Amino acid sequence: MNITRPARCLLCSFTRAATPSTRVPRRQFHPTPATLSNRKPKFPNVKAPRVEDYQPYTEEQKAKLANEYSEAQMAAIEAGEAAIDPKDLSEQLNERSDPMAFKYIDDFSVIEPGIDRHQRAPESNSDYNFKLKSEDDFVNDFGKFFAEMPDNATGKDFVRFADNLRLTHGKEESELAPHSALVPDLFGPGETIDEPRVEEQKTAAEKGEKERSAEAEEMTDALKSLLLATGYTESQVKGLRTKTLVSHSVTNQTRLGKVRRAYRLSIAGNGNGLLGIGEAKSDEASDAKVQSQYRAIRNMQPIPRYEKRTIYGDVKGKVGATELQLMHRPPGFGLRVQYLIYEMCRAAGIHDLSARVGRSRNQMNTVKAAYEAFMSQRNPEQVAHALGKKIVDVRKVYYAGKI
Amino acid sequence: MSLVNLSAVCSHLNNATKARLALTSIPNSNLHLKLSLALQNSGYISSVVRGGPTPPPAHSILGYPAANDEVEGIEPITRDNVASRRLWLGLKYWQNESVLGKIKMVSKPTRRVNIDVEGLRRVVRGEASGFVAGLRSPGESLYLSTDRGILEARECVEKKLGGLVLCRVL
Repeated sequence: MNITRPARCLLCSFTRAATPSTRVPRRQFHPTPATLSNRKPKFPNVKAPRVEDYQPYTEEQKAKLANEYSEAQMAAIEAGEAAIDPKDLSEQLNERSDPMAFKYIDDFSVIEPGIDRHQRAPESNSDYNFKLKSEDDFVNDFGKFFAEMPDNATGKDFVRFADNLRLTHGKEESELAPHSALVPDLFGPGETIDEPRVEEQKTAAEKGEKERSAEAEEMTDALKSLLLATGYTESQVKGLRTKTLVSHSVTNQTRLGKVRRAYRLSIAGNGNGLLGIGEAKSDEASDAKVQSQYRAIRNMQPIPRYEKRTIYGDVKGKVGATELQLMHRPPGFGLRVQYLIYEMCRAAGIHDLSARVGRSRNQMNTVKAAYEAFMSQRNPEQVAHALGKKIVDVRKVYYAGKI
Repeated sequence: MSLVNLSAVCSHLNNATKARLALTSIPNSNLHLKLSLALQNSGYISSVVRGGPTPPPAHSILGYPAANDEVEGIEPITRDNVASRRLWLGLKYWQNESVLGKIKMVSKPTRRVNIDVEGLRRVVRGEASGFVAGLRSPGESLYLSTDRGILEARECVEKKLGGLVLCRVL
């Protein structure tokens, strides 16, 4: 006796109606009742729209629409309403709600150049076997025209004849609607692929100026000079990744005694190839931090990145007794580096790297040596120029840069 | 095959590039000549000319001594002058850096390093094999002495040759 099955009369199993499940031709290895594959759902999909969802416009709605649309447009709307059966609509129109659904509404009836897949041009109307009409043909045409000319002929008739007079023998479309080699327009006037229209740009610039003047009153002098020197806006500066990596106090021995000051070393990067380091000393720790961060932002320089994820080749850096080595790694390797270099990679936008820091592991010198190593990368293009050789990135050539 | 002399040549080339010399000379031997030609073939040095104790005259157009100079010509080796022959190498610089960055021996006079094709394939792919570290930077190369002459590591893989690893250039 199986626990999962209820106790039943032995004979009951022979009667067909006793089991709720349908009979299956194969042995079952599980107690779940099998369902027939071609079973139709008893209820339609709950998400499917029903006929009741598509009601004709009420008089109120029509009155509102009439405010917006002209009479001709209203007539068109009503004709459209009458033409489509609500039942068809409920059966055939299904708005997708799945994750792969399109984020915009479109009927996809028009192929838009630049957005949709390239459509092969239709076969042209050209007729390669056309022949120019001879003088006799023209004489015949004119003869025909005069023969069929109505009695009260006007100039209109002749103009119509002249317009329709064909100069060639062959396909009619070839002459009337010839093939055009012109590319269709992709953009409207004043519109480009990545820039908004000129008017929108202007308004955005005015807006930016207003914001800048409002912010300028609240900014510190240091920030103002930073913005002036770098050309960034305040929001851009806020968007940069800054991090204070080294902090300790330093002392100056004078005849008055020890003068302690705070030392901070910060890095700054935009997460997309720029990295800079800045140091500052000040009586106030917070002041030193801000100063060092601003200096780091000023010192930001582009770091060569292979495929925007790792470095070109293995590089070494040495500052003082700190000697370190940065090694490029394949995609998905991650940042298996110590925390100081990790933060630098994060700020610079490097994603695959490993590092080895040898001899001294002084924090300050580690950061400086890593920066030096990042900057000492050799660009393969420059190497190719120097050697007079052609260097090809095999990954790009064979896999089209996909891996 | 004297690796002692070859080590001296490597050190001398490093010193010469650090001193930003345009032309330097190394002792003449078949090994040095073949390695120099391999370096020239890879583009690390501009010219290899066999000359005497004084630098050979420059090519009228190129501005440095050239082996195929028809105007000046090359002094033929005789029994009298063979001992005084030297190889004159033209060094290259690009964007304030020497093209021949650093040349370093892999085999030492006391430890010769041989490598087979399998190991060499790994090295060329950037992995280490035995005593030989992988070629992991752009413009890095490794020179081997094989039974078909002195070749670059990638050429050796192409021709399925192993051999004695001489030096590494970065």
